[in-house]
Amino acid sequence: MPPEEADIPALDERSNFLNWVESSLQKAACQSGPHPGPAVLRRLNRAEYSASVRDLLDIHFDAGEALPADGSGGEGFDNATETLFISPIHAEKYMDAARVAIEYAFADTRSLRRFLVAEPDEKTPPEVAARRVIEAFLPRAFRRSIRESEILEYLALFHAAYEADPSFTVAIRLTLQTVLVSPKFLFIAEEPNFDVKPHKVTDHELASRLSYFLWGSLPDDALLEAANEGNLSDPTILQEQFKRMLGKQNSRKVRDFSQNFVEQWLGTRALGREFKPDKSIRGYDSELEGGMKYEPVFFFNEILTKNGSLLDLIKADYTYANRRLARHYRIKGEFREQPKRVELTDENRRGGLLSMAAVLAVSSYPHRTSPVLRGKWILETILGDPPPPPPPNVPELQESESGVSSESLRERLELHRQDTACAQCHDRIDPLGFGLENYGVLGRWRDKYEGHPVDARGALPDGTTFSGPAELKLALLGRKDQFVRHLTKKMLGYALGRGLTYYDYCAVNSIVDKLRANDYRSHNLLFGIIQSVPFRFKAGIAPDEAEHATTLNQDESIHD
Amino acid sequence: MTRRSIALSRRTFLKGAGAALALPWLEAMLPQRLAAASTNPHPIRLAALFMPNGVREDQWTPTGQGSKFALSPILKPLEAFKNDILVPTNLWNQGSDYGDGHYVKTSGFLTCTTINKSLGYDLNSNGISMDQIAARSIAQKTPLPSLELAIDPVTIGVDTNVGYTRVYGSHIAWNKPTRPLAREINPRLVFERLFRINNPSSTNTISDSLLLDRVLADAKQLRRRVGASDKARIDDYLESVRALERRIEQTSQSWGPSWSPRGEISPESKPERRPDEHPERVRLMLDMIALAFQTDSTRVCTFMFGNAVSNTNFSFLEGVKGGHHSLSHHERKEENLTQYQRIGQWHIEQYSYLLNKLKNFKEGESTVLDNSMILFGSGLRDGNKHSPHNLPLVLAGRAGGRINTGQHLVYDKDTPLSNLYCSILDAFGASVERFADSTGKLKGILS
Repeated sequence: MPPEEADIPALDERSNFLNWVESSLQKAACQSGPHPGPAVLRRLNRAEYSASVRDLLDIHFDAGEALPADGSGGEGFDNATETLFISPIHAEKYMDAARVAIEYAFADTRSLRRFLVAEPDEKTPPEVAARRVIEAFLPRAFRRSIRESEILEYLALFHAAYEADPSFTVAIRLTLQTVLVSPKFLFIAEEPNFDVKPHKVTDHELASRLSYFLWGSLPDDALLEAANEGNLSDPTILQEQFKRMLGKQNSRKVRDFSQNFVEQWLGTRALGREFKPDKSIRGYDSELEGGMKYEPVFFFNEILTKNGSLLDLIKADYTYANRRLARHYRIKGEFREQPKRVELTDENRRGGLLSMAAVLAVSSYPHRTSPVLRGKWILETILGDPPPPPPPNVPELQESESGVSSESLRERLELHRQDTACAQCHDRIDPLGFGLENYGVLGRWRDKYEGHPVDARGALPDGTTFSGPAELKLALLGRKDQFVRHLTKKMLGYALGRGLTYYDYCAVNSIVDKLRANDYRSHNLLFGIIQSVPFRFKAGIAPDEAEHATTLNQDESIHD
Repeated sequence: MTRRSIALSRRTFLKGAGAALALPWLEAMLPQRLAAASTNPHPIRLAALFMPNGVREDQWTPTGQGSKFALSPILKPLEAFKNDILVPTNLWNQGSDYGDGHYVKTSGFLTCTTINKSLGYDLNSNGISMDQIAARSIAQKTPLPSLELAIDPVTIGVDTNVGYTRVYGSHIAWNKPTRPLAREINPRLVFERLFRINNPSSTNTISDSLLLDRVLADAKQLRRRVGASDKARIDDYLESVRALERRIEQTSQSWGPSWSPRGEISPESKPERRPDEHPERVRLMLDMIALAFQTDSTRVCTFMFGNAVSNTNFSFLEGVKGGHHSLSHHERKEENLTQYQRIGQWHIEQYSYLLNKLKNFKEGESTVLDNSMILFGSGLRDGNKHSPHNLPLVLAGRAGGRINTGQHLVYDKDTPLSNLYCSILDAFGASVERFADSTGKLKGILS
């Protein structure tokens, strides 16, 4: 706190100081050796639960649909350990979901083949068949090797159910349903490391880390096999598995990953939910919404799977559009309801995330565009430099809701920035957003707005000026390291399923170095994360806590 | 760049959060007695209805005081219930007078505490919400200890602009300082849940208990393996499984139920799906509250008309054009204020719809409304100012005769909101010595 009579230091003074503190701390953290996060114990989120049940039972059915939605934490994703709470309602929901999923799977002979590997007959008594089913199912569901005692426990459950109702199907259904409600399935639970030093995660743990990162689902047989053989962490094998996981036969799971990541990073998940255009904005229908929603997903997915340049995200000469979106963008050609890849020309005035309809919509008000919201979106999402909050108990911004022309809005915003308190931040926010004024609420191109020609002149926070979206993109490419660094942080946070700490920034820095040296090819990002200390290691538990753990273990009976 | 404190040890921090549970002030918040000796033979119900974004302040407060008062324009739809309601003026939520304009005011609405500024790691409301104190006092009496309902799904993302995860803006019920309660947003699923509770099948009891026994045993095995701070996560799951186990026993026909429904649920009244239109969604959820209270499936419920900063488009109302949050930033312009007022009034109309339903359920000589307390409120007064002074609040229902309704009570400026909650908890039969920053009970409310 400055002395009362002193002026509060100017924003850039404060920000320079904070940058200095931050980089010093990061440097110190990196020099102090590897500091991974702790062993993972986290609940599967709703999407991961659905995908895991889908792959386990080979069903095409969203088993998690009725589960409560998960909030976001850490780097802004709903797979963050810290915000995956368990409410009293969860057990009930999991039990229902498991019952419905098993019912569904037993009604489909193709699914049955996947997990009902034995059935009783003249030579096979029910308990022998049950044992085979359990032996095959448990390692896949729990994503690790299974102890004999665990097989026996589930066999005992089968017996008890069979005694109550002597039907193999009824008893095995209950057994499998129970597996899906067990916390051993619902939680990714790594063995804690009770050493003081960090340890490598086991091969099975690595398999789960890989599969929930790149697929949002459990490891498949090939990954489990590599882990069983104990060579998944071998660099060559790991590289092979990485390529295989991103390969064509897994395209659906990789696209799930792209969708989960992109929609949360860009905020486009709000489309049709938190963001719905006003009735006065014409042309919005479900096919357009679909095209808007999937454009960034398919686009990002191509960059990831084809090892494309991450800078395409800023500026590219291709995109994905369905029939309705192509018309919206005035792109000629044959299109269907499914998005397809399309080459862009300058006349299309598209290419890169900033000119995608979904992005432009979620950074608008329902009934008109806002340079402030869009400027804030660029700072937060692309540059990773969110503006500080407005002062407490002050109206956020004197920006009228009624239809004002672009011209007078610019004047009003300029007037607003004459107030130095407001200007500190809005000088950085507003001029960025003006660069996108050629796009309407739904991203449609406009040369005029309410009778006035659009004035799309603007500037970056560092003073670089531009006019219009094409120049804005070039200006942002001038800050490409800042962008790539931010994307790396986001992706690392997603991969780890937690918020980052200063120690993780060592990994971020080395991945960014590697990207810079390799034309920003996306596989350097993904594989760089997979090879990083926080992804491959788990921290030791502090001695005092380990001690605490044993004490608690001794009088565990009180919790029974 | 995002600024963070150095997260050297998440565990130290989580431990700290755990230790907070043992703080004496939390003890003080636990109910002193389970149920007040009462002659009222009917259960007391408590619901809290949260509206985001505040109200048009000059059109909210009734004129006149005590029993001689006139409803304000926004409260007009409550005319038929003037004798069933109580409007307290000048209450504030000091705990939420920090941080940002919305999240703190939402998550802290029923806890009266200051929530931690957090993107996730140290997420903590630093309190238990008053509905959950009430729920705990009657936990064994109904199949569901409480029901958490909402319209919007949890808002996605973290707000790096102000440094809060949007989880905060999506929750008002906390049954532990570190655990916001998940809400149900699909009326069909709520209905199915209530229906199942009221019509339990007798055949599944054995298989259900076999399943739950195995799941509990697995949870204990897992619990033994993990480090101390992670045990809390497994404990949360254990608690959740045990609650289900208890409920199945409670409603099970084969072992003789210890609870029976007070009304019948007709399967025909099942909502088909989650409707697209906001008013329909709200109506269906309010129907579910009424159904849950009528059948005594639960006695405690919270409902969120919208999440914090909700920008739900209200152009379905005549004369309104735009989103709720945008219009709440009215800049004192008449055209915005008119629309903002209309939105506030619409919420009161919905509140009145619920009161009417509850009043139509007879319970002996009284009605379900007579035996309830239905609180309506927002975590801030004027959406243009984001200030938690003089909060807009209405309490309806007599709690079986404990509440003196039919009044507009004007308190001293900045009387703690938590005093109202103390009074409510007392009337519910879960009297507490104090609640958060409370300084006593509100005068003139309890009979």
